Amino acid sequence: MPDILLLLAGLFLPLFPLSMVFNAVFNRLQHVVLRCILLIGWPHIGLTIIHSTDTVVPTWVIAWGLATSLFYALRMLALRGVGQWNSFLATSMWSILWITTTDANQNMHHLYTFAITAPLLLLAFLSAGLEKRFGAAYTGLYGGLALSIPRFAGVLVVVILAAIATPLFPGFFIMLKLILDTSTTLPAATLALLTVWLLWSWAGVRLLQGLIVGSASQGEATDLNLFSCWGYVIAIIALILSGIYLSGGLL
Amino acid sequence: MISKLILLIILLPLLSALFTHLLAGKLGRCVARISVAATLLSVIFSGVLLWLSLSGHLVGQSISISPWTILYFDSLSILMAFVIGLISLIVHIYSLRYMAEEEGYARFFMLLDLMTASLLLMVAAGDLITLIIAWHFVGVFLYFLLGQDTRNPSAYRYAFWTLITYRIGDLPLVLAAVLLFQAYGTWSLPVIFEQLNQAPHAHSVFGMALPEVVGILLALAAFARSAQFLLHTWLPYTMDGPTPVSALMHAGIVNAGGFLINRFSPVFANTSDVLQWVFIVGFISAVIGSILMLVQNDIKKSLGYSTMGQMGFMIMECGIGAFSLAIYHLIAHGVFKGTLFLSAGSVIHSARKDDGVPKDELYTFVVEKRTAKTHKPWLLMTAITLLMPLAILIFSHWLVAEDYFQKQGAIILLFFGWITGAQLIFATYRTHAQKLWRLVGISILSFTVVIIGYVFISHAFDVYLYPDAAFREKLFAAASIEKVRFDILMVFIALSIIIGWLIAYYSERNRNGKHPRYTGRLWTMFYALISRELYMTDLYSLLTRTILSSANKLNIWLRWN
Repeated sequence: MPDILLLLAGLFLPLFPLSMVFNAVFNRLQHVVLRCILLIGWPHIGLTIIHSTDTVVPTWVIAWGLATSLFYALRMLALRGVGQWNSFLATSMWSILWITTTDANQNMHHLYTFAITAPLLLLAFLSAGLEKRFGAAYTGLYGGLALSIPRFAGVLVVVILAAIATPLFPGFFIMLKLILDTSTTLPAATLALLTVWLLWSWAGVRLLQGLIVGSASQGEATDLNLFSCWGYVIAIIALILSGIYLSGGLL
Repeated sequence: MISKLILLIILLPLLSALFTHLLAGKLGRCVARISVAATLLSVIFSGVLLWLSLSGHLVGQSISISPWTILYFDSLSILMAFVIGLISLIVHIYSLRYMAEEEGYARFFMLLDLMTASLLLMVAAGDLITLIIAWHFVGVFLYFLLGQDTRNPSAYRYAFWTLITYRIGDLPLVLAAVLLFQAYGTWSLPVIFEQLNQAPHAHSVFGMALPEVVGILLALAAFARSAQFLLHTWLPYTMDGPTPVSALMHAGIVNAGGFLINRFSPVFANTSDVLQWVFIVGFISAVIGSILMLVQNDIKKSLGYSTMGQMGFMIMECGIGAFSLAIYHLIAHGVFKGTLFLSAGSVIHSARKDDGVPKDELYTFVVEKRTAKTHKPWLLMTAITLLMPLAILIFSHWLVAEDYFQKQGAIILLFFGWITGAQLIFATYRTHAQKLWRLVGISILSFTVVIIGYVFISHAFDVYLYPDAAFREKLFAAASIEKVRFDILMVFIALSIIIGWLIAYYSERNRNGKHPRYTGRLWTMFYALISRELYMTDLYSLLTRTILSSANKLNIWLRWN
């Protein structure tokens, strides 16, 4: 693969420091729809570039991707902004997808990417919901969402669990597949993947605790209406079903 | 019919969780009755299965829904499902009134149901993926149960400790599952075990035999779940959660390590060194847990460390090859500790008014941790402590099996069992020690209890859980060590006991005299060390703060991009 194309792919399937571009762009965008378009489109551009060259991705690039993923997973621990957390998680997730590019089935690459990104779209909407209600989507600023807007808090909990690759969601099966692929050929990569997974869980729990725990000290905030709530529930069920369906192909 | 029963045992709590959530608005607090009724039905069904299994009408039933959704009900699953269901039912009933004044009443019962379903799925998992999923969910639901009071950041702080330790333990399990799949090409546990038994050393990973590597990984997963030393700090601190959750956690969830080792007994039976390490870790945890328990002044924290000690003992039992005895231990401990937790609240409540405890010698020893001021027949006690295990061995050799001396694990277990029992009896009855015949009588009685308990209970569990005598032998063989090392170990244990008795003897004799300066300082340092819980929590907190601060600095340098 020519170096220039590799660099270009590294911009979209983020490799540090090229990954900073995506995060800068994502955080500049204020509108939730634009953020979602970016989340959906960005990694697929990278995949398309890789597929267009039809060459094998070198192992050092996979290592670079894993290092990027670890780096962003670690940095997620100190984040308090929900939007920023979302973009860092996307970076951390997409950079490990370099491993999947060794697989021959190109359509599956796009499927993995979409499946792993889908919970982040829901999180983008929830982040926008928080900004609308409280003026900012920031942990530790208000808290107590479990008491003030319980329906919203419930959905937020499940979406964050989905985002950090909890079982039954697509991320879990994709992580399992990646570990399965690397366990005998690249054991160091397996350990890196497990560490990344652990860091996501840690970061996810910190985000949750900063939002849902505490007294409901804020003024009146409106909870999710039933229509939106059912919308999220259907999306979550779809995620679970797609996770289970996806696992059929993966495992 | 049996397949439907098996499915219902797991589905009932799941359905109950769903309906509890959906109907909470309409039924109010009455919604909890759905949850109790579903758990009761689940217990009845698992009771039926247990009865069928005990009467020999049910031998290993598996339901395959997909290549990675297999439910497997063998004697271990059936027994564990019944125990889990029963403990969960007690916790459900207790919570009806205990949680009545709390916010999130319906959510609590929903989470309790989801936890019960996860535990049942875990013990019934017939494939590696289902096991991982259930194993993972137990940690997640426990986190939310411990954080039931969402106003309380402290509860969530310690719930986080639990979750992160559990996640650390999940990862070796994932790795073990993946390695097994790579080797055998299937997720199904019965198939893997069958192939493993046929050719135990057919596969290797990085130059090591597969069972050895997988055994280590599984042991690590079990250590995290059962609060073994270095992975134990979460257990004593998770006391801010509701008492019923503590009861469920200490009576059921924390025992999962013992279950996991039993579930993968065919793997451990084909290892050479893993069980010895399991024994050592269990031993260290048992000793440290018991020491730390003694210095606590908070009843729930003290119970937490007591659980750590008990879990250490359970892991030790696995380490010596007495797998079925570990299951008995976890059941007995579950019932015992569950009762203690559920009564802790009323004890605290009544103690606030009047402790009501007679200030006799037993009280001063157990509660005030002061020894009685009577002269004790030290030589006799020491002799009994050392000679009794020998008597037990000779008696067992005559009563149980000719080859009893070959079962090193059984010998070590009896040794520990006896010493623990003997210490308790001597400590409890030391005030009446001048009545030598009484002391001797009690010792002989305890000896009888140990023999009866060990022989009958161990035999019953062995026959039920591991009916194949050859397999039981294989487990003991996997846990055995070279004769020289075994002899050294026994001498070391005997010396430890003698030194312990000597220290106790001299400290008792010099009770009113002055201690030499160096021993006084040594004791103070030792007390400081254990009262700070060996500085483990401080160390982990420092590590956490360092990681978080590094992450923050990185983010600032890179302008949050």
